[in-house]
Amino acid sequence: MTVNRYTKMAYDSADDMVFGHSKFPVKAGLGLEIGAGYTTAEVNYAPRPEAGASKEKLIREYEKITTDIMERMIGIGAPSVVLETEHVQQMTNNPTWGGEVAAAQKAIMEDFHDEYGIKCALRHTPGDIREERDYLQLRGDKYSILMESFEEVAANGADLLSIETMGGKEVFDHAILRNDVPGMLYGIGVLGTMDMSYIWQDIAKIAKKNNVVAAGDTDCAQANTAMFIAGGLTSKDLAHTLATIARAISAPRTLAGYEAGAIGPGKDCGYENSIVKSITGMPISQEGKTSTCAHSDVMGNLVMQCCDLWSNESVEYHGEFGGTTVQCWSETLSYDCALMNVALKTGNEKVLRDMMVLSDKYRDPQGYMLSYDNAYRVGQAIVKDGNDIYLRAKNAAIECVNILEEGAKDKLELTRFEANALADAKSALVSLTDDKDQFMSDCMAKYSEEVKVFRPENYGL
Amino acid sequence: MIKMDVVPSEILVRYNVKMEKEMSPEQMAAELYPKGDLIRPIAEAIFEGEEDDVVEGLKKAIDAGKDPVALIDDALMVGMGVVTKLYDDGVIFLPNVMMSADAMLDGIEYCKAQSDVPVVPKGKIVCHVAEGDVHDIGKTIVSALLRANGYEVVDLGRDVPVDEVIEAVKKEKPMMVTGTALMTTTMYAFKAVNDKLMEAGINIPFQCGGGAVNQDFVSSFELGVYGEEAADGPKMADSIAAGADLGKLKEQFHKH
Repeated sequence: MTVNRYTKMAYDSADDMVFGHSKFPVKAGLGLEIGAGYTTAEVNYAPRPEAGASKEKLIREYEKITTDIMERMIGIGAPSVVLETEHVQQMTNNPTWGGEVAAAQKAIMEDFHDEYGIKCALRHTPGDIREERDYLQLRGDKYSILMESFEEVAANGADLLSIETMGGKEVFDHAILRNDVPGMLYGIGVLGTMDMSYIWQDIAKIAKKNNVVAAGDTDCAQANTAMFIAGGLTSKDLAHTLATIARAISAPRTLAGYEAGAIGPGKDCGYENSIVKSITGMPISQEGKTSTCAHSDVMGNLVMQCCDLWSNESVEYHGEFGGTTVQCWSETLSYDCALMNVALKTGNEKVLRDMMVLSDKYRDPQGYMLSYDNAYRVGQAIVKDGNDIYLRAKNAAIECVNILEEGAKDKLELTRFEANALADAKSALVSLTDDKDQFMSDCMAKYSEEVKVFRPENYGL
Repeated sequence: MIKMDVVPSEILVRYNVKMEKEMSPEQMAAELYPKGDLIRPIAEAIFEGEEDDVVEGLKKAIDAGKDPVALIDDALMVGMGVVTKLYDDGVIFLPNVMMSADAMLDGIEYCKAQSDVPVVPKGKIVCHVAEGDVHDIGKTIVSALLRANGYEVVDLGRDVPVDEVIEAVKKEKPMMVTGTALMTTTMYAFKAVNDKLMEAGINIPFQCGGGAVNQDFVSSFELGVYGEEAADGPKMADSIAAGADLGKLKEQFHKH
């Protein structure tokens, strides 16, 4: 496979972007077409820890989860559903385990599809196991095991292949705790993109060979780490303006998966996906108010704005008053999708989209930047220098700063602290070189010294 | 483009904007710095997170006759105290604390190198990330905050096998052990650590926190005390140093 960088936008205007529609819908699984005019629930789950004691117990657990979800979907009349299995480590480290789980789940889904006609697909997300105890080991022995895991799940029932890669995290973790914006740019925008370009070419090959879908990635390991550290409005762990800049920089990193062969739907926890969709036109999964079972995000409605799949991020499988957790959350997701689908069928999709956006747009700087009109602007900044992975990440960061500054002059209220952090970030960004080689050389020297676990060979450097 | 519009204050409240203090962090810190021409610049440099200025200030103070070991308590810890107070009050944010902690550690090392008298830490703490979990940013923060508050940290790193935690505790005899985990699937290692510590007759507080870890889970094993925030690390250590037992710690830190 080759890497084809994006240098233009998929959409002519931000207003063309709505939920349930993508420029390039994706057919997957059993009768499903994602982004083809309707939204679908994507249900995520984690097995109870005791189920990981053996392969047999784990498979049985996933059979129960799958059956519970499919039964509830039939019970409430949901026309479609996607299941996402994010691997527990044993399943990726022992590739045949993942394959057997996928086979067991798919057999159940096929039975329901055959009996009721429900459209459905199975996403498998192997864990990024490419690390040793002390270091990331992105291109070492674990890489082969990870690829075997993809092979096994693709050959045994998974329809959509995804991963949440860790590339760049060692530098980012150091940088984010020190308000170091160039370090964030290097970790996410450059190192992360290099790793994405490397691994997604291979995942895309496996998908092609098995006639399944190379779906997409997320910058969960970094942009979501920043968002979680930033926390709620009164949290004092990180300026939300900095977390917002991290998110803008994450978009070109996630984009790199599509440039290396992924076709969507992008992973649910990639809050940067609205930016990515504006560039690729490929379908995305998103999570927000329905992922409060996993984490808070300060933009629960807004993030539905352009979704094609609507997810709950993850919930541990156990009982609740209304059934098992996967039944409760799959039902909630499906009602949200029904509302979006009614809007689509009645021509009110832009009204509903804008209502969802406006309910959160001024809640937090990150929601403001991700509002589809602003997300589109970040997309434009990325493709302007799409062939230069450093410059496009820097462009994204600077456009993010511009958007927040403009917002602060209008209706977006910032604390003095957030405004100061934004000003400091801007100052750091505008003083950076436009020369990728110079930036790489400066960062190599700085972070080789400061970050003891940084190993340039992970990135072919 | 968005055609409708709203008045944000009719939809939501930006409590952080509403609650922001009148004074800037620098102004508030200025009121808290210690007196003394030699001491104050060191505390200021700690607050600013400027390692070079910390060392320069220490050098001047030592040249003027101040005892290097005494400077740790009288200047460095006082400066870090300003940082901790303003962080607790919601005036400054975690990256400021981390940068101050880095400067503090450089300062301590400098003082140690200038004296033959050993520096006695406030206590020893073993930190680790749960077996199977490689997400270590939480542990990094906890370790830095503990060190900056005068505790000796034995950092076992990430993905630490349960038996290795037990061996380290037996060897180091810490006042507390901490464990962080991001994933629900790995946090169950904490229970195994608890059980093996108890089997060995070691009844020290085991502070657990991070990601999906919650108070209900930590309460399910005897030695567990839930640390909701990284800043609870030094606070818990201070409470133990002041004589708090497990019951009192749970009363203090189990807020839900």
